[in-house]
Amino acid sequence: MKFYDLHIHSAFSGGKSSLEELASMVKNLGYAGFCYVVYYENEKRISQIKNEIEKNENKLDIKIFLGIEARSIRELNFLLSKRNKFDLLLARGGSVEMNRIACSHKGVDILTHPSYERRDCGLNHVSAKLARKNGVSIEINFREVLISSKITRARVIKNFKDIIKLHKKYKFPLIINSGAISHWEICDPLSLSSFLHLLGLELKEAKNCISKIPEKIIKDALKKKDYLRPGIKVIK
Amino acid sequence: MKLRILPSLRERRRYIKFKVFSEEKISYSDLEQAIRNTCLEFFGEFGISNFSLNLIRNLWNEKEQIGVLKCNHLSVPHIILSLSLIQRLGDARIRIKVLKVSGTIASLNIEKA
Repeated sequence: MKFYDLHIHSAFSGGKSSLEELASMVKNLGYAGFCYVVYYENEKRISQIKNEIEKNENKLDIKIFLGIEARSIRELNFLLSKRNKFDLLLARGGSVEMNRIACSHKGVDILTHPSYERRDCGLNHVSAKLARKNGVSIEINFREVLISSKITRARVIKNFKDIIKLHKKYKFPLIINSGAISHWEICDPLSLSSFLHLLGLELKEAKNCISKIPEKIIKDALKKKDYLRPGIKVIK
Repeated sequence: MKLRILPSLRERRRYIKFKVFSEEKISYSDLEQAIRNTCLEFFGEFGISNFSLNLIRNLWNEKEQIGVLKCNHLSVPHIILSLSLIQRLGDARIRIKVLKVSGTIASLNIEKA
C-alpha cells in the first residue's frame, strides 16, 4: 500500500525545514510521496520551487507534488484562474464562507483546516453535499492535535469526530495529513490511520484516507491542470 | 511461584516494534518515561489501566534506536497514536516510526545488540 501526505509546509511557506530535510524524513517514515505546500507570491517563485522539487525528486527517488494554499476568498478566485501552473489547489478553511465557497468549486482539491480555531466543525449538511458533488476532499489536520493540549485538544478532537460523522452520512472524500511545518512534525502513516480509527472509522477506511483517496486526488488534480472552463480543456 | 491463569482468561498480547529518529541518542529510561507520560496525559489514568503497557528493556537496541513495546490486542491503535504524540525528549526532537505489530517476539525479527 502506498501512502501520501498531501499537506507539508517548508521554509518557503512559514515552515522551518528545507525541502531536502522534509523529503528524507518522509521517505524514512515510509511514504511514497508528499505534497509540498506553499503560498502564492509570483510565477518566478513558482518556477524556482519547481526546479528545487525536480532536483530532490531525482536525488531521493520520491514523488513530490506542488500545492498552493489559498488563504482568502480573493486569493482562491485568483488561484483558480492560474490552476494549470501547479499540481494541487488547497483552500484554507476556518470561516463558514470560505468552507462553503471551497466546497462549491470543482477546481479546489482539498479544504484544509475546516474547523480551525472554531467551536464547531465548520461544515454542515449543505457544504458536505457540495464537497461530495464537486469532489473536494476535506482534511483532518493532525498538527492541530499535536500542538494543542488539554481542553483545546479535546475541542479539536470533538470537531474531528463531527467531521467524521458528516463523512459517514454524506460520503465526501476525507483525508488525513500531518500538516507539518518542520520535518520533526511529520507523522508515521500508521499513527495517522490509528488516529482515524480511534475517531470512529473502520481500520480499512482509515487506511484508505492516507493511501487510496490521496492517490485519487492526485490523479484527478493532474487532469484538472488541462481544464479551462466547463466543457473546455486543453488536449495535448 | 508464578501465577498460573487459564488460557481462556489470558490477555491476547501484541508486540509493537518501533524505530526512533532523533537529533541525539535516546536512553531506555528516558523513552519509557516519555511514553508513559504521553499515554497518561492523552488517555488518562483510567485509559492507561486497560493497556497493559510495557517497554521491554532487554529488546531495546540503543545503537539502532529500535525497541519493542508490549500491550494487549485492543490497545494497539491507542499506543501507536501515543507514540506519534511524543515530539521532544529533553532538548532533542524525536519522531517514532512503527515498524511492525505482531503477536510473538520471534516474528519481529529482532537482531540482538
